[in-house]
Amino acid sequence: MAAELLLAAAAALSLAVVFAPPRVRRASLLTRGLVGLAGMAAIAIAPTLDLILLILLVLAVLQAGLVSHRDFAARVRAPVLAIALLALGLAFERIEGPPVLLRFGAVGLVAGLVAAIGLLPYLHEFDPEESTVASPIPWIAFVGPVLAVAVLARARQLVPAYAGDALGAMLIGLGLLNVLWGTVAAWRTETDAAAWRYSFLSDWGLVLCGFGLAIADGQGAALILLLSIVLGRLPLYLWSRQAVRDKTPTDRPINLLVAAALAGSAPFAGFAARVMLLRGATQIYWPLAVVLAAAMLLWLPASLRLGRSMGLPRGRQAIGVAIVLAISVFLGLYPQPLLVLAGQ
Amino acid sequence: MIEVAAALLAWLGAALVVLADARRGLALGLALVTVGFAVLAWGSGQPVGAIAVIAGGMTGALRCLTAAPSTWGLMPPGSTPRLVLCIAAGLLALWISASVATAPGAPLLFAVLVVLGLMAARVLSGGDAVVDRTAIACFALALASSPALASSTPTGPVPYVMGALIAAAVIVAPATLPRGAARSGKDGR
Repeated sequence: MAAELLLAAAAALSLAVVFAPPRVRRASLLTRGLVGLAGMAAIAIAPTLDLILLILLVLAVLQAGLVSHRDFAARVRAPVLAIALLALGLAFERIEGPPVLLRFGAVGLVAGLVAAIGLLPYLHEFDPEESTVASPIPWIAFVGPVLAVAVLARARQLVPAYAGDALGAMLIGLGLLNVLWGTVAAWRTETDAAAWRYSFLSDWGLVLCGFGLAIADGQGAALILLLSIVLGRLPLYLWSRQAVRDKTPTDRPINLLVAAALAGSAPFAGFAARVMLLRGATQIYWPLAVVLAAAMLLWLPASLRLGRSMGLPRGRQAIGVAIVLAISVFLGLYPQPLLVLAGQ
Repeated sequence: MIEVAAALLAWLGAALVVLADARRGLALGLALVTVGFAVLAWGSGQPVGAIAVIAGGMTGALRCLTAAPSTWGLMPPGSTPRLVLCIAAGLLALWISASVATAPGAPLLFAVLVVLGLMAARVLSGGDAVVDRTAIACFALALASSPALASSTPTGPVPYVMGALIAAAVIVAPATLPRGAARSGKDGR
């Protein structure tokens, strides 16, 4: 699964560089993106969770060293907390002692993962004026997907079955929290930039629920949602920044299409993922499916807002938006080859 | 007995990093943490790892000695909470490693838990860039030593070398200062 996400991240970087707005320095974006990709590749092939944490620390220090108006301390805080939680969780999993320690270990692993990505209750400090590469967005939309897959794959090997249930339950609980908070906040928050950030949160909520279900449908839905974050929401966010800054909301057909893609309507990728997730939730515990279905309805107003905030894409960006929508439609209509490729 | 002393040395070093705000205290703290983890790595049958830890940690400590104000900066006014944190973290880690855990390797477990906890707390409490970088260097050394806790899987020197490189690089690398110019948003968005 990590290999597919790595390829998707490379494709997203290509889209971001090729179709970048004119004022963006492409060379700088490409260089930093490639460093991030190299780190993600190292995370994907690292044989142990310990090495993943060390690689994560390198990435955190490198990002915190970038020039920005936020200081080093402010930017390194969240990743260090995440790595500390993951490392303590890992240490507890390795200690021979009472079973409760293993449950504490599972709590540490989930809390650390959520902190690394930057989800509730560990939201990273976000400033809409900050450059994207120095902001928390790469953690939630670029590095985060590969990291989550790698950490959870290794965590499941470490955590015994009885603590594994606790791990799944925590993922689902945090997932629901992020779904509800993200959708409502993306709809109600004052600024469009913050709304975009919260929309990542709500997508991640569904991803966590998918991982927490621990059955093929849940894992498949999580993979499709992660791909839609990396190949859909992230490029659209990058191209929306200028319009968000200029405060030029637009109501054209393209904005409605973008809103539909972001809301997970048919035939876009999010729809297939949501159907799989609901099917998986029904198999495990049907009230969860009811809650998820209700939460999914909340996507609509937030997505309409985000679609409007895109402005009217022109030139290269219009081509980029068209490509992203086409990829989303393809993933939505034909998810099976991808799932087979990922071993689902 | 040597491993117990090394673990206590690591805790003392981490406590110094938490309690100090200037270069001598920070450098001594990093040096103590380095020696503590190097001895523990040697005791875990990782001589290459121990040498790597010494090389990386001491490089960082020497650089730290020249990077911050030339004083000890130990326990400035208002540092009682920090002192309480150091003692409480030490006691908690001691309880877990000596009483809760039943497997051998208590000194290493104590050192890893207490240094990770104290250094994360130091970074979270916010402060000068040199302080944060020193804390991250100690954090990397503790992280590099934690694979040795796994008794079932053999650990090579790779984590130690990587941790040592991070410990040296995070302090030696030139610091970037926050700039208002970055607000223009022309930087890789």
